[in-house]
Amino acid sequence: MAQYFTLSDYSMSLPIILLTLFALDILLIDLWIPIDRKWFNAVTAFVGVLVSAAAVYLRIQRPLDAAGLPAQTAFMNAMLLDHFAIYFWYLFLAGAAIAILMSVRYLEIEHEHHGEFYALILFSVVGMMCMAAGIDIVLIFIGLELMAISTYVLVGFLRTDRRSNEAALKYLLLGAFSSGIFAYGLSLFYGLTGSTNLVVIQNRLAREMAGQAHANPIAVIALLTTATGLFFKIAAVPFHQWAPDAYEGAPTSMTGFMSVAVKAAAWAMLLRILIWGLAPLRPVYVPLLVFVSIATMTGANLAALTQNNLKRLLAYSSIAHVGYMLLGLVAGDAHSPMADGIKGILIYLLVYTFMNLGAFAVITSLRQREVIGDELDDIAGLYSRAPTEAVLMLIFLLSLAGIPPLAGFYGKYFIFLSLIESKHYVLASLAVLYAVFGLYYYMKIANAMFMREALDKTRLPISLGMRTALWISAFATLVIGIYPEPFIRAVNWSLGIAQVGPVASLVR
Amino acid sequence: MLSIETYIIVSVIKTVIALFVLLTAVAYCVWLERKVVGHIQNRWGPTRVGPFGLLQPLADGMKFLFKEDLTPPHVYKPLYIAAPMLAVVFALTSIAVIPIGNWVTIGGVHTPLQITDVNIGLLVILGVTSLGVYGVALAGWSSNSKYSLLGGLRASAQMVSYEVSLGLSLIGVLIMAGSFSLREIVDAQGGTFWGFIPRWNLFHGQIVAFFIYLMAAYAETNRVPFDLPEAETELVAGYHTEYSAMKFAMFFMAEYANMITVACLASVLFLGGWKGLPFGPAWLQDLPVFWFVLKVFVFLFIYIWVRGTLPRFRYDQLMAFGWKFLLPLAIANLVITALIVAVRA
Amino acid sequence: MPQNYVPIFIFVALIGVLIPVTLLAAKLVRPDNPNKTKLMPYECGIDPVDHARGRYTVRFYIVAILFVVFDVETIFLFPWAVKFKALGVFGLIEILIFLVILIVGYIWIWKKGALEWV
Repeated sequence: MAQYFTLSDYSMSLPIILLTLFALDILLIDLWIPIDRKWFNAVTAFVGVLVSAAAVYLRIQRPLDAAGLPAQTAFMNAMLLDHFAIYFWYLFLAGAAIAILMSVRYLEIEHEHHGEFYALILFSVVGMMCMAAGIDIVLIFIGLELMAISTYVLVGFLRTDRRSNEAALKYLLLGAFSSGIFAYGLSLFYGLTGSTNLVVIQNRLAREMAGQAHANPIAVIALLTTATGLFFKIAAVPFHQWAPDAYEGAPTSMTGFMSVAVKAAAWAMLLRILIWGLAPLRPVYVPLLVFVSIATMTGANLAALTQNNLKRLLAYSSIAHVGYMLLGLVAGDAHSPMADGIKGILIYLLVYTFMNLGAFAVITSLRQREVIGDELDDIAGLYSRAPTEAVLMLIFLLSLAGIPPLAGFYGKYFIFLSLIESKHYVLASLAVLYAVFGLYYYMKIANAMFMREALDKTRLPISLGMRTALWISAFATLVIGIYPEPFIRAVNWSLGIAQVGPVASLVR
Repeated sequence: MLSIETYIIVSVIKTVIALFVLLTAVAYCVWLERKVVGHIQNRWGPTRVGPFGLLQPLADGMKFLFKEDLTPPHVYKPLYIAAPMLAVVFALTSIAVIPIGNWVTIGGVHTPLQITDVNIGLLVILGVTSLGVYGVALAGWSSNSKYSLLGGLRASAQMVSYEVSLGLSLIGVLIMAGSFSLREIVDAQGGTFWGFIPRWNLFHGQIVAFFIYLMAAYAETNRVPFDLPEAETELVAGYHTEYSAMKFAMFFMAEYANMITVACLASVLFLGGWKGLPFGPAWLQDLPVFWFVLKVFVFLFIYIWVRGTLPRFRYDQLMAFGWKFLLPLAIANLVITALIVAVRA
Repeated sequence: MPQNYVPIFIFVALIGVLIPVTLLAAKLVRPDNPNKTKLMPYECGIDPVDHARGRYTVRFYIVAILFVVFDVETIFLFPWAVKFKALGVFGLIEILIFLVILIVGYIWIWKKGALEWV
């Protein structure tokens, strides 16, 4: 009577199990809650996220540090719980927590305050956790599909709104298509190497390509198709077409969640596959990355210049940020990525989580009974209606533009640093140029908030959940910007880079 | 092992015999139904054509052959013609894996009394049954008439809903037999309890599964009490409103072929297939084909008996029954079977 | 053994030839006198009202999707059932967890009214 999964496997995946239990719980109790108490589902979801985070710390991080191990595998080498995975798990849980806080009043106004919204958020976080911790392409794919399908439903959650339906349909069709192409690429890698484990794939590819000048053509095709799927998920040009429509049509709190957590999960998947799995093919994929990142930065920044819809504008800005992050992966030579570049990507994702969620929180709070609150005109004169929120929004916008001493600066700083150190001067200057473009459209919003007259001069009521979300995001943005040392240390820890010196040598 | 040529020749012979027997059985199933339903309703049924009306199916066949087959201009021709053919092909295909008896040696050739013994026989049958929904759905859609479309949709929704319970009810049998192969499932039902009760699955704990299977099968084959899709008083003739003569005969044949398949499967899975009763004279216990045919006949008779007796369900009652009663019951059955088998082992 | 599937193909091929031949034979033998009334779509003797391909309720789509979900569940249960004894108690507990998740979903759709009329 063979036993393939042991008890330690299950206790390693305790955060995932807890989230699933909370999500199932929400589904069941939602059926018996009266309409005016539906916020209880949000409380359950929030508690679930906190409990799961506690489980990550107590059950995974502390034992790992105590035993001095860099990582632990689970489920017959399908899951690799290393510091990288733990870092991303905390990131997903943070994003989910803020998104849940943002959604409560928004859903009530939209009359769609069903419990399954929160259950789906928790299920999609489960999928994301599988993507970040998976070292077996089957587990990564399952996590990807779980996250994606939950997100498709969440994007279309406003059943009576045409834009939401359209957004969900576009996202679903393009997402399903790209998942198919992605799976095809992964299956080709399985065929080439005979294993679904990324570490084994890397070893066998390295062995096969050891003496050869050019890569195996099938490996190149497999890389192209896999990369297509990955680029779709992070919404890089030319695979970005779904993003503006999906972001615009989705419920705004969902847009925040998508742009932050889903993107972080897609990045975790991309880094796992490209660095842990396909490192021997780096000479092949670096030119591809250069092309895609330039296209992304160009396309997104230029498109964002003319937008009047806030959600679309932030969608294009998201895509632009992805362009900068891709440069972090380009940095390094033809055979290994530069540690600073990857560090830059991870820090970028951390600060991006908070500042983007903060910006979307402010836009979500604009939604009133009669006003949809998506357009630039709706945010005009926000300073006179809700001064604190306007100032917080200014902080988020400046951080997005990369102005020190706010958090966004450090994201860009490490990436540009890694580019310069690896002598990609042209790319670095292009990136800086496009960052200036970014400043224009972020300041356009700030201009509307402070300099224009409000169309509707009433005070803007902000609910408790929304205020909590806003202050958490603003606090994080300010703290990371002013005192980044502990966060940089956390990123170093997650990548296994040894600690070097105090804050003064911020360069390392 | 047989050489490849002998194997193919033997298979072709078995196929031809099986087809011949099957088609005759379908025709005489119609005769049986008319007779039995007639007697239930206190009338004679067919008596004029041949003794006891035994040549009635022949007369019906000639009628279908010679009748005018209108192909209305408003139908979508390719699917309109393909639908009845699909229905019949899928209905007849299941017989290919049903075992009638054990391995025999005829003329030096050692072969099973089964067209082929695939090791996933049950899956093949379930798959082919699922394909059977296509015939109905396409017929309804391609006929381009309101009655046909609605009838086709309702029929397919009904068949599809009961297919879930059908699949789930078979899991108890699979747990006990440990194989998909129908031959091995029958072999697992050998032996007796206390010397005289045969160890058929019906007596070995699968009685609830048996009834779920039977009810789901009645719904799959669109027979009373689930025959709303072809109820004459409701939707004219449902999905085969626009069909006449031979194509209509094909749907007719498909329905009776499905009935026979269900009866064969029920006897193989729950009633021990070709295994006889353990008491009685020894020569009687050794006639596999006889016992198999007897059990199939019993099931067909029950089918027809139910048709003559019960009224028909309304559509929402039908769907509620399938989704809200049979499905949880099937899941409960499989959980309890699994627990009991696990505890016993 | 893959050669066991060949007789099934022979069987299907034989039927696949027999049926169209029958239909063809019927076509040669029967009379063919269409006129306008005979060819109209049947609507209890009156002239047809409205298009045939109108709209119909969305409940059919819901049934189809629920069927897919539960059928996939059944498919996952089949290999477990066949290898029940080899998988032992551990397999039983795992499949019970699987079933519990699906039953939560089932309760959810029941209470949400997706099974009404259906």
